[in-house]
Amino acid sequence: MIETTAAPFPTIRVRPWLGRLAVAASLIATFMALVWAPTDAVQGDVYRIIYVHVPLAWLAYLAFFVVFLASLGWLLTRRPWFDALAVASAEVGVLFTGMFIVAGSIWAKPTWGVWWTWDPRLVTTAVMFMMYVGYLLLRSLSTDFSRRATRAAVIGVIAVIDIPIVHLSVLWMNSLHQLPTVLRAGGSPSLDAAMGTTLGISVIAFTLVYFAFLAERISIELDRQRRTLEARA
Amino acid sequence: MGARRVLLIAVLAAAVLIGFVAVQNLASSAVYYLTPTEARERNIAAGTAVRLGGQVETGSLRYDPQTRDLRFVLTDGTTRVAVIGTGAPPALLREGAGAVVEGTFAADGTFRATQVIAKHDEQYAPPSPGATPSHQTP
Repeated sequence: MIETTAAPFPTIRVRPWLGRLAVAASLIATFMALVWAPTDAVQGDVYRIIYVHVPLAWLAYLAFFVVFLASLGWLLTRRPWFDALAVASAEVGVLFTGMFIVAGSIWAKPTWGVWWTWDPRLVTTAVMFMMYVGYLLLRSLSTDFSRRATRAAVIGVIAVIDIPIVHLSVLWMNSLHQLPTVLRAGGSPSLDAAMGTTLGISVIAFTLVYFAFLAERISIELDRQRRTLEARA
Repeated sequence: MGARRVLLIAVLAAAVLIGFVAVQNLASSAVYYLTPTEARERNIAAGTAVRLGGQVETGSLRYDPQTRDLRFVLTDGTTRVAVIGTGAPPALLREGAGAVVEGTFAADGTFRATQVIAKHDEQYAPPSPGATPSHQTP
């Protein structure tokens, strides 16, 4: 998928099969989530939004960690490809975060009884969302490539610290959001095996979606970089 | 280009503002709720807005649809607080399960709730054969 050629910038060929795999996996995951997985004893069928809410959250964490690595890559090597990776992953991360916040809100109303509350998990998530929205807006304000990339990279390196804070917030403080079901120390995930399988397939599907979006966005960014360079020449 | 720049700065300012509100709430949500014991230890005065969290004591949950009167006892195993609210509780409010209430203490020691939130745990499992999911049982 990623090829380094003799050209000044490495080119990414967006393989159609990545998108097709993502669609296929999403269809399978949708069937499993809506039909195959059992109902929950406490929440009934409304719990099924877990198969959207949780994978999006984990992929957002991954996306922002990739922003962190790409930002380090730019700061250390000054290679424009790292900047392209950083902005691409940040955009997908912001999209996924917005989506899982909305999914969570839709889940919250019939279960908790409120659309939103300022509990530690929701607050830290809102902060994470705002930081990366700020990251993208910061990039929009600058026209000089190198300066923009460096400023953004600094934010990208610092903001990643919120990810473990978001996850651990429910463990550190009294919160409404329940404790982790899967990512927890000691003991296996506290959900039924069939639910766990469905969640796993959903995570795979969303991971493919992430990589499909990422590949597209990197390709667009590399095109922009090339055109900017040509315009200057 | 000038109008776009202004728009971008406005959106950035809005994001910073929301982020600021969030961080402010993080400071106060460092204590998102007090347990009944903590509330008693801190001598929360009647009339002070506070959030309490605990479990709904088994046998204490009553809701009258005619008068819209909601009553239950919130407990943390040590301290019991009688909660009085108005309006239908969330479907997941169950005896023996978690709850978070917002409101104030009244002079008689009962808690007048303006908001009742049901809290559920992190376990997910299908119902045993023949049983109906909790939120669908009256």
